[in-house]
Amino acid sequence: MSILHQILGLLCLSPLLLTGCSSEDASPLALHKTALQLNWVPEPEFGGYYAASELGAFMAEGLAVEIRPGGAQSPVEQMVAAGQVEFGITSADSLLMARDRGADLVAIYAAYQTFPEGIMVHASRGLESMAEVFQGGTLGVIPGSPFLKLLERDYGLDKMKVVPHDNNIAPFLQDPKMAQQCFISSEPIVARHAGVDPQVFMLKDIGFNPYTGLIITRRQTLEQHPARVSALVRAVRQGWRAYLADPDPANRVMHALNPTMAAATFAEAAIIQKPLIQGQLDDATLGTMTLERWRTLAEQLEDLGLIERAEPEGAFVNP
Amino acid sequence: MIGSVLAAWLPPLLSFAGLTLALEIGLWLSDIPSYLMPRPSEVFIALHVHGADLTRGILRTTLAASAGLSASAILGVVAAIALSSNDWMRRAFYPYAVFFQTVPIIAIAPLLVIWFGYGLKTIIAVSFIVSVFPIVANTLSGLLSTDPALRDLFRLHQAGTLTTLVKLRIPAALPQFLTGLRIASGLAVIGAIVGEFVADDYKDGGGIGTVVMVSIKEFKIDKVFAAVLMASLLGLVFFALVNLIGRFTMRRWHIAETRE
Repeated sequence: MSILHQILGLLCLSPLLLTGCSSEDASPLALHKTALQLNWVPEPEFGGYYAASELGAFMAEGLAVEIRPGGAQSPVEQMVAAGQVEFGITSADSLLMARDRGADLVAIYAAYQTFPEGIMVHASRGLESMAEVFQGGTLGVIPGSPFLKLLERDYGLDKMKVVPHDNNIAPFLQDPKMAQQCFISSEPIVARHAGVDPQVFMLKDIGFNPYTGLIITRRQTLEQHPARVSALVRAVRQGWRAYLADPDPANRVMHALNPTMAAATFAEAAIIQKPLIQGQLDDATLGTMTLERWRTLAEQLEDLGLIERAEPEGAFVNP
Repeated sequence: MIGSVLAAWLPPLLSFAGLTLALEIGLWLSDIPSYLMPRPSEVFIALHVHGADLTRGILRTTLAASAGLSASAILGVVAAIALSSNDWMRRAFYPYAVFFQTVPIIAIAPLLVIWFGYGLKTIIAVSFIVSVFPIVANTLSGLLSTDPALRDLFRLHQAGTLTTLVKLRIPAALPQFLTGLRIASGLAVIGAIVGEFVADDYKDGGGIGTVVMVSIKEFKIDKVFAAVLMASLLGLVFFALVNLIGRFTMRRWHIAETRE
C-alpha cells in the first residue's frame, strides 16, 4: 500500500471529511466504507481478501473494506441479512438454508471451487474408502452439519458414536479410533505437526461439493449498488490472483493477526488449498459459479429434508 | 378453596399472557424477520411441529441434570459436614470448594471429555461441577449457625458429637441446604446443556443442548427458541420439586414453609 493511499484512506476515515466521502461519489477521495465479515479467524482460506487489502485493490476500486475476523459461532448470514455488515463469508449449504428461512441473501463470489472439507482418520488404521470409516469408533462433527445427514443416509452411523466437534483436535490426537471432520488445509497439518499421521477422505468425492468461501450480500445491496458489488468482486479476484501467485505478503499480515497459527503452517496451507481455489478457472473467471453446481446442491439439501424450496437461480450472481 | 387457587395461579398466568401478547404484537408491527427473532406464536408452532424431537432431547437432558444434581446434593452435604467438623479442615479445604464455583467450565469441559470420554458420564460431571458449590456453601453455613442455646442443651444432656450432628445440627441446617439446592437446581440444568455442547453422543438426536446447536446451524431459529423454552421449563420443574421437598420436610416447624 503506498503512502499516498494510506493518507487518502486516513483522510476519508476522519469524521470531519466524512460528508465528502459519500459512497457513490467518483472522486479519488470518495472511498465507500464497508466491511467483510469472516466466519473464522485469519487463515489462508481468507488469503485473497487480505492480499487485496495489502495491494490496495479495494482502494483502487473506491472501497475501504474492513476485514472482520470471526469465530465458530459467527452468525454471518444473520449479520448480513440484518444489515449490520454489507458483505460476509459463508458456504453454499448454509446460504441455501438461510434463504429457505426467508433471508434474501445472494452469493457474489466463490473462493473455493472445490469443497475443502473431509473426514480425517488416523492413517495407521489403513482404511481404504470412506465407507470403512463407519465400521466403528467415534466421529466428531459440528452438530447440524448438512453432510452428516448425507453420511447417515449413505453409510449408516449405527456402529459409531457421533459426538460434537468444536475445532479442538486433542480428542482425535489421543484416540486412534477417532474420526473427525476437517478443513483439508488446516487440521491435517496441525495433526501431522503433533506427530499423528492423518488420512483424509474428501466429502466432494462422495458427491457433496458446495461452493465455500462464498461472499454474500443482501439482494437489496446488489440491486441498489450493482457497481459497488462488481467493484468488490474485481478487487477480491485481483487479491486471490495475487495470493495464488505469492501468498507470503498476505500470510505475514494474517500471521500477525493470528499468531497461534505457525508461519510455516500458513505457507503449507496456501500450497494445499491452491488447486481447490484455482479449479479449472483462469485469471478472469476466478470465483465465478455455475447454475449446475447450485442446482445439484439444492437438490441434495431438499432430499435430506434441510430445505423446502430450493431456488438455486436466485442464490447467486457472477457480477 | 377455588379463590386461593386463583390467587396463586392468576398473577403468573396473567403476566405470561400479557408479555407474550405484547411481544407478539411488537414483533408483528416491527420489521424484524423471524429468522432473527421469531414471534411467540411461531415458537409455539415449533414446539408442536418438533414436539417428538424436543421431548426426546429434554428427557435425555433431564436424566443427566437429575444425576448431576443428585450427586451435588449427596457429595455437597458430605463435604459440608466434613468442612464443619473443625476449623483446621475448613481452612485447608474450603478453598477447593470455592474452586468449583469459579472454574470456567467452558474451558475445562473439553478436558473432561478426554478424562471421562464422550457421553453421559462427562455431561453428568459438568452438571455436578457447576451445581455443587451452592450446596456446600449454604449447608456449611447452616451447620455452623446452630442455635448456641440448643447446643448447650445437648451438651447438658451429654449428647455425643454424632448425636448432636444427626439430631440437632443437620436438621437445623435443612433450610440453608434447601436454599443451596434451589440455586443448584437451575445450575444443574445449565451444566448438563454445557456438557452436551462438548460431549453428547448425538447420533439419535442428542439432548436439548444438541438440539439447540443443530437448530442454530440449520437456521431453525423458531426451534432454537422452542428448545431454550423447554430447557428453562426443566429448570423451573426442578425448582418446583425442591420447593415441594421443602414444604414436606419443614412444614411442621420452619417459619418460611408454614405460611402459604
